[in-house]
Amino acid sequence: MKLLTHEIGSLAKPPWLVKTNAGRPLDESDIEHAARWGEKVGVEGHEELVEKLQGGGADKDELGRWASRYALRLLESAGLEVVFDGEQQRSEMYAWAVDHSDGFAPRGTVRSFDNKYYSKSAVVSEPSLREPYHNDELAFLQSVANHDLKIPVTGAYTLAVWSYDEHYGPQTGRIGAGHGRSEELTARRRFANDLARNVIRPNIESLIDLGAKWIQIDEPGASTEADELDIFVESFNESVEGLDCFFSTHLCFSDYDLFFPAIEQMHGCKQFCVGFANYDTRELGTSGSDRPGYEVISKFRDLPYEPILGLGVLDIHTDFVEPPELVRDRILYAVDVFGDPERIHVCPDCGLRTRSWEVAYEKLRNMVEGTKQAEAALTTAGAAT
Amino acid sequence: MGQASPAENAEHFPRLKAFAPGIYPRSEALVQATRDLDRGRTTQEAVDEQAERDLAELVSVQQQAGLDLLADGMLRWQDLFRPLLEASDGLETGALTRFLDTNTFYRAPHATTATPKLARPLGDRDVAPLPGPRLVTLPSPFALAHGTGVQPVTIAEGVLKPAIEALEADLVVLSEPFLARDETSSPADLEEPLSKLTGGPKLALQLTFCDARESLEQGLADLPVDAIGIDFYLTHVSDVPKGFDKLLLAGVVDARSSTVEDSRELAAFADRLRTERDIEQIALVPNGDLQFVSEKIARQKLQQLGAAKTATVEAAA
Repeated sequence: MKLLTHEIGSLAKPPWLVKTNAGRPLDESDIEHAARWGEKVGVEGHEELVEKLQGGGADKDELGRWASRYALRLLESAGLEVVFDGEQQRSEMYAWAVDHSDGFAPRGTVRSFDNKYYSKSAVVSEPSLREPYHNDELAFLQSVANHDLKIPVTGAYTLAVWSYDEHYGPQTGRIGAGHGRSEELTARRRFANDLARNVIRPNIESLIDLGAKWIQIDEPGASTEADELDIFVESFNESVEGLDCFFSTHLCFSDYDLFFPAIEQMHGCKQFCVGFANYDTRELGTSGSDRPGYEVISKFRDLPYEPILGLGVLDIHTDFVEPPELVRDRILYAVDVFGDPERIHVCPDCGLRTRSWEVAYEKLRNMVEGTKQAEAALTTAGAAT
Repeated sequence: MGQASPAENAEHFPRLKAFAPGIYPRSEALVQATRDLDRGRTTQEAVDEQAERDLAELVSVQQQAGLDLLADGMLRWQDLFRPLLEASDGLETGALTRFLDTNTFYRAPHATTATPKLARPLGDRDVAPLPGPRLVTLPSPFALAHGTGVQPVTIAEGVLKPAIEALEADLVVLSEPFLARDETSSPADLEEPLSKLTGGPKLALQLTFCDARESLEQGLADLPVDAIGIDFYLTHVSDVPKGFDKLLLAGVVDARSSTVEDSRELAAFADRLRTERDIEQIALVPNGDLQFVSEKIARQKLQQLGAAKTATVEAAA
């Protein structure tokens, strides 16, 4: 009995990279961070980085690659089987994609929640891909990863819904006109599909040419508009249809009931990795009443094309470190609902970039340990029957 | 549409106003300061100093734009509910929840008792002192009760009434993002809760980011408040009853769009409200919190809001 464990995407950037990117001087604690984590997670040659940091001679790109090595080893040493580098070399999942595309103009910073913000741009003309923007990253990671890789790519619909529209919809004559939703929907559909065709698909094709085996289409904005889910599905299909790769999509912090029945048409999606722990209790137990955050998973089970469920078992918005037993019970409940452990993978709810490396590491280690406990329990149960 | 003569404008536009309720965006400097605070790279004092600079700048922008009531922009509020939750017994922050159809999230109110009470009034950090006539924005009783299982009237009596009684404000705008989107509710659900809040400052109920047509058909204009706010990016002008006799907070600045409005278009729309709908008391406002655009864009939108009002009033004179 084996349940695959994987990460979702982002991981906090180390302080020595953040400060260098911001043009701020490093202090002793930053160098100590590099030395300690290099030792802890087994980054080969990390002494070289420490020397560079002490000497002040490393540039941003070089430090970005070092951060990728650290993040890979952090995830690998935590025991995850499929890894990425926590997007160390990207600015941010939205900004990175937009900054490498034509047709957008920056419009400043907007709150995500509390003191978290993101840069938001406006589409000002039909978007197009300036150049494939994950190739250098993947090529480097392929050269240093010890475990299998999964590459996250921000999806077309999320890019569309997170952007202002200064191109597709009407820009004047709107006040008091009571513009119907149909007009907005038409504009969004054109925008999302143009992004899928002109930006996401060529980017994906390029990654496949480089040898990518698993591409995760990140769509945290997918359920922003309940009546646009068919646009999300259409743009996903437009992005991946006919391409030879294992495609998954990541959904988080949504009312997941909204996705049904729209995602019944996402036949190219082999796995949905979905955040549930944020909505669950911290009590142990494997019954439905013990696991309220996972109530909706039967709907994923019943999808006609039988995708795998990447089961989010770590709440990424809290420093609470889930005990292995809690992870185990969440998995056992999901396996029981699905009736097929082959259709369950184990992952955090979302990227862990808002947590410190200390907290992220402990959470992930416990996730792996909890997965092992679940595997053991399932093996024992299987033997008994 | 025919142009009104200056004399007609003078007769019909004596009370055109403009102001900006809701959460205003933080400057890039304050965004960075709060980020740094979260990461232990700066002090609370440094963040407070930047927040004061943001407030001073916001006040200056409103004054220069000629807005009639000043707002503090709720610069320290993490969302529409947070300071009230922190000041109340029996209410706390719940799950991170998407705010309507935006990419901004809030901590949904969670009730731990059936009868939450305000434990202390909102202080200067939450409602900043301002140099002139002012408005204060609070959640409506329906919005604050939304999802808690507590009745809006209980929230009104136990939390909002004492909060409002402790305020010095010329207008309290009760922000209501949920009512018009909730098919199981109607304005009648707000009648009793709002009646509990009368007797103090003037009250406005602003339906933000929504089509108010059904709510208007169901008697929104009859609720016991002095003003009603309508989003005119989603509501057709003809859905407002002719002769609407309260102050109309006309949401004419789209707080979710990066496109900066043209003051002439705003002024022309105010004229349409007067001529087509026979509405005498109008305040031009954003259709919701301006925090959904950057501070730079919000500032330009406020300037256009003020310019529209000034142009209309000057034309009337």
